[in-house]
Amino acid sequence: MNGLSPGMHLVLVLATPLVGAVVAWLLGARGRDAVRQSAAVTALLTLAAAGWLVVRYLASPEAAAGEPYAVVTLPWLVDGIFDVRLSLGLDGLSIWLFGLSALLSLTAVLVSWGAIQERPVGFYVLLLVLEAAMLGVFAARDVILFYVFFEFTLVPLFFLIGIWGHDERRKAAVTFFIYTLSGSVLTFLGLLTIVLWNASHTGTVTFDIDGLTAGLAAHPLPMNAQGGWLQWIVFVALFAGFAIKVPIVPFHTWLPLAHVEAPTGGSVDLAGILLKLGIYGFLRFSLPMLPDASAAAAPWIFGLGVAGIVYGALVALVQTDLKRLVAYSSVSHMGYCVMGLFALEPVAVEGATLQLVNHGLSSAGLFALVGMIYERFHTRNIASLGGVASRAPWLAALFMLFTFSSIGLPGLNGFVGEFMILAGSFQRAWSGVSEACRPAYLTLALLAVAGVVLGAWYMLWAVERVLFGPSREPPTGGSAHAHHEADEHGHHGAAGGATDDLAWHELAALVPLAVFVFWIGLVPATFLEPAAGPLRGIMQPSARAFAERMLEPDRGPAPGKIVAIP
Amino acid sequence: MNPALTSSETFLLLRPELALVAGAIIAFLAGAFAGVRRGWLIAVATIAAALVLAWSQPGGCSLAGGAAERGSITSGPVSIDAFSTFTRQAVLGLGLLLALVQSGDIFAAAVSRGAAVWRGGTCEEAGTFLLLLSGLSIVGVADDLVLLFAGLELVSIPTYILLALKRTDAHGQEASLKYFFLSLVASALFLYALACLYGIGGSTSLAAISARLRAAGTEGIAMALLPVALGMALAGAAFRLAAVPMHFYAPDVYEGTSPGNAAVLSTLPKVAGVVVLLRLLGLAIPGPLGDGTVGAAATAYTGLFWQLTAALAAVTMTVGNVMALVQTNLRRLLACSSIAHAGYLLVGVAVAAAAASTGSAGGRDALSSDASWLGGLGGATATLFYLATYALATIGIFAALAYLGHRWPEWTSGSGPRPPRQEITTVEDLDGLSGTNPVAACAIAVFLLSLAGIPPLPGFWGKLALATSALEVDWNAAVAYGSRRAAFVALAVILVANAAIAAAYYLRVISAIYFRSTKRGVQTDGGLAAGLAMLACLVLVGFVTLRPAGLFRAAAAAGDAVSRTPVVATAQAASPSAGPVAAVR
Repeated sequence: MNGLSPGMHLVLVLATPLVGAVVAWLLGARGRDAVRQSAAVTALLTLAAAGWLVVRYLASPEAAAGEPYAVVTLPWLVDGIFDVRLSLGLDGLSIWLFGLSALLSLTAVLVSWGAIQERPVGFYVLLLVLEAAMLGVFAARDVILFYVFFEFTLVPLFFLIGIWGHDERRKAAVTFFIYTLSGSVLTFLGLLTIVLWNASHTGTVTFDIDGLTAGLAAHPLPMNAQGGWLQWIVFVALFAGFAIKVPIVPFHTWLPLAHVEAPTGGSVDLAGILLKLGIYGFLRFSLPMLPDASAAAAPWIFGLGVAGIVYGALVALVQTDLKRLVAYSSVSHMGYCVMGLFALEPVAVEGATLQLVNHGLSSAGLFALVGMIYERFHTRNIASLGGVASRAPWLAALFMLFTFSSIGLPGLNGFVGEFMILAGSFQRAWSGVSEACRPAYLTLALLAVAGVVLGAWYMLWAVERVLFGPSREPPTGGSAHAHHEADEHGHHGAAGGATDDLAWHELAALVPLAVFVFWIGLVPATFLEPAAGPLRGIMQPSARAFAERMLEPDRGPAPGKIVAIP
Repeated sequence: MNPALTSSETFLLLRPELALVAGAIIAFLAGAFAGVRRGWLIAVATIAAALVLAWSQPGGCSLAGGAAERGSITSGPVSIDAFSTFTRQAVLGLGLLLALVQSGDIFAAAVSRGAAVWRGGTCEEAGTFLLLLSGLSIVGVADDLVLLFAGLELVSIPTYILLALKRTDAHGQEASLKYFFLSLVASALFLYALACLYGIGGSTSLAAISARLRAAGTEGIAMALLPVALGMALAGAAFRLAAVPMHFYAPDVYEGTSPGNAAVLSTLPKVAGVVVLLRLLGLAIPGPLGDGTVGAAATAYTGLFWQLTAALAAVTMTVGNVMALVQTNLRRLLACSSIAHAGYLLVGVAVAAAAASTGSAGGRDALSSDASWLGGLGGATATLFYLATYALATIGIFAALAYLGHRWPEWTSGSGPRPPRQEITTVEDLDGLSGTNPVAACAIAVFLLSLAGIPPLPGFWGKLALATSALEVDWNAAVAYGSRRAAFVALAVILVANAAIAAAYYLRVISAIYFRSTKRGVQTDGGLAAGLAMLACLVLVGFVTLRPAGLFRAAAAAGDAVSRTPVVATAQAASPSAGPVAAVR
């Protein structure tokens, strides 16, 4: 099988879930078992193929040279102004997120094992289609192809939330869809403007992301009044879509609703992968293609990131619903990624990129565990839960592990990412900004540290209330209601008592994540090194623009540049 | 360019249209003898024959092949170029689908003594529909005001008959009367516009009017007549497009008629409107035979043209979508959606007009600044491409509705005899469709998502083309407040914002279909032909999703033919139009 070219291998990875979706659909008549088994096999095969591709990538000369790997290109709409191609490939920036998508898709299938009773065929088909879209968005090398996958992920998730979600599912599904769509349509216009600009200035039409990056580096979008502040306009347009996707506070209001109402499998994919698309978009497009606007906006977005950390943590602190708490912790943790990214400091950007994977693992694990708790006790209300540890020790142990990962316990993955982000931010605050901005930057960085403490507080407090203390049955009335609800929405509790602990499929869903939690925590270099080269290339123009803007205030604002006042 | 044709040869250029008329006559005659369904068999066979005839004409393969054959034949009132070929084939292709929908449009026409009277399509309807198609096809090939108007009337009059024949209850009568009177007003306005154009050009030939309009020294009377002519023409076209300010009839008429008729109304008149607008715009653009001059009158004409269409586009998109947000009746909702789509279509027309008014339509170099530029996307191309993607999805939805037919009303045994089936009217009637008819549910969801512009469905490619063309206008100018470029950037933003608004009500329908359950089962008692049309639309939508290039190329050939001077002629035309182009740079 060494004859399998990397490009074909990549196509195979993308095609496997789609083929699996068709198989699951055909097996629909054979009942739920056949469908979920085939879905699990498909997800496992995809993971194996994707994992193997990642290994091949790491060993390839392209990885060492920082070049795209496994490039496949087919024409799609090539005529006149359009040169849209089905162009796929991987590089150091996308490789881990690509692998994470395959990993979490398996988790999503396995955590839905017992929970999905109604219409299993549709559920698993959509889950596999969503997997293909998530893999595709990280493999896309064409702007339009990226946008197609970026948008298309909404469709399966819309149905997953709307059909298999909880009480408010219809509202949540529609809100989620419209909110994210309204941002990303502006992103669409921004991307088109980039393409047209590149075409008019280089004379060749290309929709290739690398080609556009090179073209815009040679012919930057104007950042002055004569050019109509075009770079600003495009940056804001891209920001609209990416910020909502992350979500950056104050554009986060769709997230808790979507998470709370989504079925567990959907939450796993949403928190684990889809939230990463925003940051990935900033890394792919905003930073390398619009360096001046990125640098000018960096202090503000850095501040929004910190606001997200603190706000998310404070709101999580007062939640009574365990899933909502984890959702707000996502808002808080994505704040770190935003902050690290827009610190524009190599260490911080690397940390932010690693934190994408970290958060994908820990939040997916936590959402999966919350789902398992709900299946057992039919409530997510923290007050009605207690003593889970005595009834389900393995569940409790894994809950603790992912909690520690989430709050950044040294030795686990979260610590590495958060430490790098904070270190980079302080470095930026001490030596990378003008005197006038330093206090503001230092304050923000200190607030982010406070966010770490808050994060530990709300997570550990929730752990204490849910896992320990007296074993508590949910109130009988609520239980009956929950059972009724379970019949309606397909949530079905496992039998109580001794069988409360994790079943094999639940262990199989969580253990791989736990392995990576330790692996990244103990040997982060494995994961940092492949991304380091590309990331420096991506952030260098923005960092340079930022340095020009910040460190030489005596020269006054450069012509056509906005003075940044953080 | 081409040797003069004799009148019989000219007549034969209209072979497909003649075939349609012949088929209509056969259908009318057969109505006296044959059963109800035969008429539609005749219609389908006739349209298929007309399609073959259209393909067999020189350059007729643009929809299937590419832009290779750009030759045009102009003779008397008829002009066969890439544009009319595209129009004709699009009309016939859509006509084939619509004929299937119409023949499957079986519903309870009236209730007499508690029992519904069921009726399907009749031979008369089939014949009338064929006449409608021939009229629309003539609009595409007309190179003369008289033939253009005759074609438009041949679209309108059969439409009245279709509306009146289908449904005889109070709603149906209201719908057909409303459409009749408003359409008369629109036709009268349009006729007035044609009279003004005749006054400017002194001829009914579009080529002659175009030459007069572009010639220097026609400013005096033309300047006075132009705004009148343009305003009236836009009003007439707006009625057919269902664009603001002539949009308000659409919800009532769609609600009052059958799904099959709504499918016709939401697509074919829009084709007519777009074709007429592009043909009228083409008056100000130097043709391949013209001397390439663009006088002050033509510049004023195109300037006014883009301003009016851009404003109408912005208002129409927004009004249509906002109206649709509050609709509960399914056909009213789709009517509002079709208003919004008329707005999207006008975006492309406005772009084409703007390009024409700077002379950048003269060459394919709209974007060039310091590098050679061969691309450039015309607004006409984008509009025609969008029109095709819109029509496929819309016909698909109405086909599905015709196929689904009726539902049982809420009823419990014990509360008397089971009431008769009711037509599917509201969004709620589709509740739980995914359980009762998963294929139709999936098809409707795909069509709605395509209309919403969710990638990678055809509607997305259409919006991609429209947004790109709008962003390209005056590319080299700065986005300054009040500039034309800013206006078109704003138009692009309004377009995508509307796409997001529209998603809200499309998702409401999908949400009913997939997220709700029902006790009132949908019957699926419509004709199988409508189901076939639905599947055909689904297949075509899938095809365009995967291979948008074929349709796009055909639209590009057509759009370039109508809104741009062919590249060959640009060399001669370069010097007179250098002024405005240089000013822009």
